[in-house]
Amino acid sequence: MIIEKFKHKMAAHCESGTITSLINHAGLRISEPLVFGISSGLFFGYFHKMKSFPFPTFIVRNKPGQMRVNITKRLGVKFNEYSFHNIDDGTRKLDELLQKNIPTAAQVDFFYLDYVPSWERVHINVHFMVILGKEDSNYIISDSYFPELIKLKSTSLENSRFAGGNMSPKGFIFNVSYIPTTIDYEDAIIKGIKKVCFNMLHIPMPFLGVKGIRMFAKKIVEWPDLARDTEHLSHEIMKINILLEDQGTGGAGFRFIYATFLQEAADILGKPELKYLSVELMKIGDGWRELSLFAAKAGKNRDLGPGKLKELSGLIYDRADAEEKFFTKLGNAVKRS
Amino acid sequence: MKEKEGLADCPEQQLILYVEKEDGKYGPVQTGSYLSANYLDDYFYKRKNLEISLRKRVVEGEISLVYYYMVLVDLSISELASRVGISKSRVKKQFEPRGFAKCSVEELRKYAKVFNVPVANMLQIVLINVEKNYESLYIHEDKTLNISVEQDSTVNPYLSVTKIGERSK
Repeated sequence: MIIEKFKHKMAAHCESGTITSLINHAGLRISEPLVFGISSGLFFGYFHKMKSFPFPTFIVRNKPGQMRVNITKRLGVKFNEYSFHNIDDGTRKLDELLQKNIPTAAQVDFFYLDYVPSWERVHINVHFMVILGKEDSNYIISDSYFPELIKLKSTSLENSRFAGGNMSPKGFIFNVSYIPTTIDYEDAIIKGIKKVCFNMLHIPMPFLGVKGIRMFAKKIVEWPDLARDTEHLSHEIMKINILLEDQGTGGAGFRFIYATFLQEAADILGKPELKYLSVELMKIGDGWRELSLFAAKAGKNRDLGPGKLKELSGLIYDRADAEEKFFTKLGNAVKRS
Repeated sequence: MKEKEGLADCPEQQLILYVEKEDGKYGPVQTGSYLSANYLDDYFYKRKNLEISLRKRVVEGEISLVYYYMVLVDLSISELASRVGISKSRVKKQFEPRGFAKCSVEELRKYAKVFNVPVANMLQIVLINVEKNYESLYIHEDKTLNISVEQDSTVNPYLSVTKIGERSK
């Protein structure tokens, strides 16, 4: 049994891609960049010492799950949401929804997904996918990181839905319950942009937003002291590229998809200055991409001495300076509307 | 980024990039991962070396397989403790063989689930012969040319079945 009418489509990011697919299936045509922008997906946070992570790391998007909350607040789309304490209850409810032909999204731990190549598989509890059906002991999955529909063993899905740890999914599933007949896109876009500008410029925490980028630039030169050996340091430095380019960002740590959102928003709002700003952000994204390729090359060549890390730090500082100016301008552009 | 600058050839890992198209519009393009296309061999080289160094320490009785797997799957102590449902201090004690000896079978089952290995592999390392060297099955994932090794879970949570056979040609 499979929901035939659901259109599987790859997306840049799992959460915005999943939400976009579900909303499209429910009848509202909207692009992934619009969903990403309206839900204020773009962000930056640096975590030098956090218990959940074995090594310093950073994030480039807002809190997992927040996109869905923001889409509800700003577009009026509503979702049915279910969490479970008991695995059997979680499985029963999912099967019941699939029997009713309701495409249902799930939050899962990426590590247990057998179809993911081994080098990509990490314990991260905030991957999102759509489940479309069940055949024998396999579920049919629409995972926006893969070109085709995929079969996943029911035991693997169960392990991934009920993994423990930080941000444990607790079997969380959701589907669309309501699409409003009219939507005020202008208001939604403006609110989405204002929140991103606030998050990037004004959160009073030294590790978040532009301040977080600067902290990343400052602290990266200390990474050798935290690594087990040169190969470990190389691995962590090369992960900068993974986090910016490979882990579902659409490139340059979501800067390219956000530039695309601004281009679409410029047309919807009739504001050409957003189009100019989208070009500026695309260039800032090119800088992030240059930085991530620099990190990959330095890691591969084990060229990780103090001079090289200082150079990398300088590239990160440049991104902070560019984004501080950019988000100030973007904030001003929507303030006047 | 212009469309042609973003393209990479990696059929095993496809992704969506947002790029500037020829008409100046920004939009999605499906391509391969640049990192995997160019640097995957280095990832496996480092991973293999890490496994060998950890295995040596396990064999010499310096560390337990709890520590071995935790490092290989890149988990922090707090995250591992939270996933297994025991205290951080208890996990730390179990990093050494003396503390590991006090693990209950149920704790081993929970560890095995987090590491996605059969419970039996909390007490053994399975090596396979790859080009005249014995290397970890956990790293190579049954990539031998002639011999197939499969470890299947069963309904009994404390039992896995290991099947070793000739690989069909």
